[in-house]
Amino acid sequence: MRVLIVDDSSTMRSLLRMHMKRAGFEVVEAKDGVEALSILPQAGALDLMLLDWNMPNMSGLEVLTSVRAQQEYDSMRIMMVTTEIEIGGVSAALKLGANEYLMKPFSADAVLSKLEILGLKVA
Amino acid sequence: MGELDEIIKEFLVESNEGLDQVDCDLVALEKQPDDKELIARIFRAVHTLKGTSGILGFPLLESVTHAGESLLSRIRDGRLPMTPAIASALLSLIDFSRRAIQRVESNGSDSGEDGSSLVEQLRSLTGVSPSIGASADVDLYSGQPETHRLGEILVEDGHLSQQAVHEALAQQQSGDSRKIGEILVGTGTVVPKAVVQALGTQADVRSASSASTIRVDVAMLDRVMNLVGELVLARNRTVQFAATSADAGFLSTVQSLNLITAELQEGVMKMRMLAIGNVWNKLPRLVRDMAQACGKQVRIEVDGSETELDKTIIEAIKDPLTHIVRNAIDHGIESPEERRNAGKPVEGVISLRAFHEGGYVNLNISDDGGGIDVERVKAKALARGLMSSEQLARASEREILPLVFVPGFSTAEKVTNISGRGVGMDVVKTNIEKIGGTVDIHSKVGQGTSLQIKIPLTLAIVPALVVTSHGERFAIPQVSLVELVRLDATSGSKQIENVRGAEVYRLRGNLLPLVRLDRQLGVEDRSATDDNLQIVVLQADGRQFGLLVDEINDTEEIVVKPLGKHLKNGACFAGATTMGDGRVALILDVRGLAQEAHVVSENQRAMHGESLSAVANKEDRQQWLLFKAGANARMAMPLSSVQRLEEIRKSDVERSDNQDVVQYRGQIMPLVNVAESFRLEQATSSDPLEVIVHAHRGQSVGFVVSEVLDVVDQTVVPELSGGRAMLGTAVIQQRVTDIVDIDQLAEMALKAAAQPSAALIGA
Repeated sequence: MRVLIVDDSSTMRSLLRMHMKRAGFEVVEAKDGVEALSILPQAGALDLMLLDWNMPNMSGLEVLTSVRAQQEYDSMRIMMVTTEIEIGGVSAALKLGANEYLMKPFSADAVLSKLEILGLKVA
Repeated sequence: MGELDEIIKEFLVESNEGLDQVDCDLVALEKQPDDKELIARIFRAVHTLKGTSGILGFPLLESVTHAGESLLSRIRDGRLPMTPAIASALLSLIDFSRRAIQRVESNGSDSGEDGSSLVEQLRSLTGVSPSIGASADVDLYSGQPETHRLGEILVEDGHLSQQAVHEALAQQQSGDSRKIGEILVGTGTVVPKAVVQALGTQADVRSASSASTIRVDVAMLDRVMNLVGELVLARNRTVQFAATSADAGFLSTVQSLNLITAELQEGVMKMRMLAIGNVWNKLPRLVRDMAQACGKQVRIEVDGSETELDKTIIEAIKDPLTHIVRNAIDHGIESPEERRNAGKPVEGVISLRAFHEGGYVNLNISDDGGGIDVERVKAKALARGLMSSEQLARASEREILPLVFVPGFSTAEKVTNISGRGVGMDVVKTNIEKIGGTVDIHSKVGQGTSLQIKIPLTLAIVPALVVTSHGERFAIPQVSLVELVRLDATSGSKQIENVRGAEVYRLRGNLLPLVRLDRQLGVEDRSATDDNLQIVVLQADGRQFGLLVDEINDTEEIVVKPLGKHLKNGACFAGATTMGDGRVALILDVRGLAQEAHVVSENQRAMHGESLSAVANKEDRQQWLLFKAGANARMAMPLSSVQRLEEIRKSDVERSDNQDVVQYRGQIMPLVNVAESFRLEQATSSDPLEVIVHAHRGQSVGFVVSEVLDVVDQTVVPELSGGRAMLGTAVIQQRVTDIVDIDQLAEMALKAAAQPSAALIGA
């Protein structure tokens, strides 16, 4: 299984990378939405995108909108990584095509249970 | 949990960088409170810190940044205006966070300080009462892209009203999954062509700010740099080896090795380069806080932040730069009233400029403050005994101003708690010189002061002049080099004049003190002739001197290798390097060499008035007897303590009670060899002996010296030095001179004679 982590914070990317690797994922990273969109076409098949909400240049919502407008990524799940301050936008994000959201701060268990909900849990 | 440790390390780096950026942005925001991009960036940094500290389990940090985030989100959304009170609170938040991060770094935990009052303060500014808590502070609009939104671009280009964008956004919020451009085209508010154009603009702006970088451990870079250094040396040897070869294939291989090495060297050096902006970033905040503390208005202007320097050098100039800026605010920029009265703008300006020039980085730091009053510097110099009144009368402004770099020299009338007693300008100079740089100062009363700093791009590989002295080769870093003078082969030694035992060369009407490298290093061969000497004119501590060498070889890029610990004490050497032929050459430390040879003043030690002993209190002019002891030590004693000067034949010296004595005016007078007492290098003994007779408690004591030089009439304020029987050192006739405590010396000498085996004066 492969995941693309999109977050402007390197610490956050490392944390997510740690969790995802432990969950058995192969990890690809992008430090913002612009980079994510440029990586996508060459990254190969991805099962999941972990998408930060608040990033410079392009917000998570913009990335989400742009990715969902391209049919070739339909099979890729998108999980928004949010904080309570963005919670108001979550329902909008779900309507825009996000599959799930992960609230910061999160624990290892929270990550695993979200993966389970997405049907991506690796044994 | 090595993985988590790594992540925490990353967290520390990222957080510190984020906080530095916020510092700058906040200060900038006070000037442009409407800058949305600044607010968004500040918000994002605090937001990230809150998120990461929450996950990593730093609750204190999380709680304060959470409060800050809520406040910032309201400002970002225009629901709260930016005020000075908010800016101050946010700056306290940054400081608090920095301390917490510091604690994480040192103790692994952020606790250790109470954050509740800060949280309270931030919340009350947000307009949230503590009881409601954060959950009430839900923000429906956050998460929208802050910058370069498509809608914004369309509005800017005049295709659209703000209102139309809001409507389209609302539609998006309520579930319309189309892109904003599509919605707008769909409703017919804008033509498709305009959207396409705007998308192009957006892509340009965005790609401009995205670059791919990776983080590399500095230790790794150091290692690579070291290896490249070795490679450069190996290359140099190969190139030299190739000079004796006629094999065309080998020669072309060497040629390409040469080129590739040069490129590699350049590349690695570039990798270690950081923009000076990394240091300057911290200054706006410093200026703001200090200006507020001093009740002044000060603005900082920077130019050339992108100028790059080696990381080690960046580290080394950080503190000196900060100090200079502090000084400029504290002592340079006048109070707003003074400025108004002087017809200047109330707000003072400190400007920083950095640029590359000839392999060096130039930094100019200038202020438009009150400038340095040369007359006051002169008065101070006179009071401190740094220069005599005749010298001051002759000295040019250029010679006077650098006196502010002398330790403890401060012309500020008021001692403030900010930059203290002016201690520090000397440290600035020492630190800059330590990395092979130079500092120049210019000032005009009423117009301001400017400092010009010149520093090498890198410390690891430096251009150097290679010279030979007594068959040994030495490398001299080119930064200290002023010029080369070739003495006429037939009359070389005749051009060197001898002024009271010191050699000088008359260079364009000025007397240039000379140092013989071989003599200074103790490898002198007395049989050598002076016929073929070269003078390398060098600059150290703002003074020039000539170094006499046998031969000037060439300039070469040398790789500086530090000397082993056991050789560190040799003040004359800065390191060693391997030359092209594989032989090792020592790198001369020009400043150390000059000080060892006493050709520039050594008064870099503390000069704090309060610690001076008895002599310092008698600041009135006094007559001093100047003499030479041993091979080359210059010493002085008050003329009033001299009874007579005598010449005593060696044959008249007798030995009694383990003490040299002589019959003198019907008494037995003990003779004390000054050089021996201070364990100085002995001079070839002369006959008759030069003896200074001093009356010690009613008894005459003779001090044997190698030469009586002069009697001078001047104010001497000795600076303390460590030695016993020494009042300190002072500059007399522009030479460093030890001031002898004659009574103590007599006492100790006589006491030691009573205990035969005891060492006279401990080192």
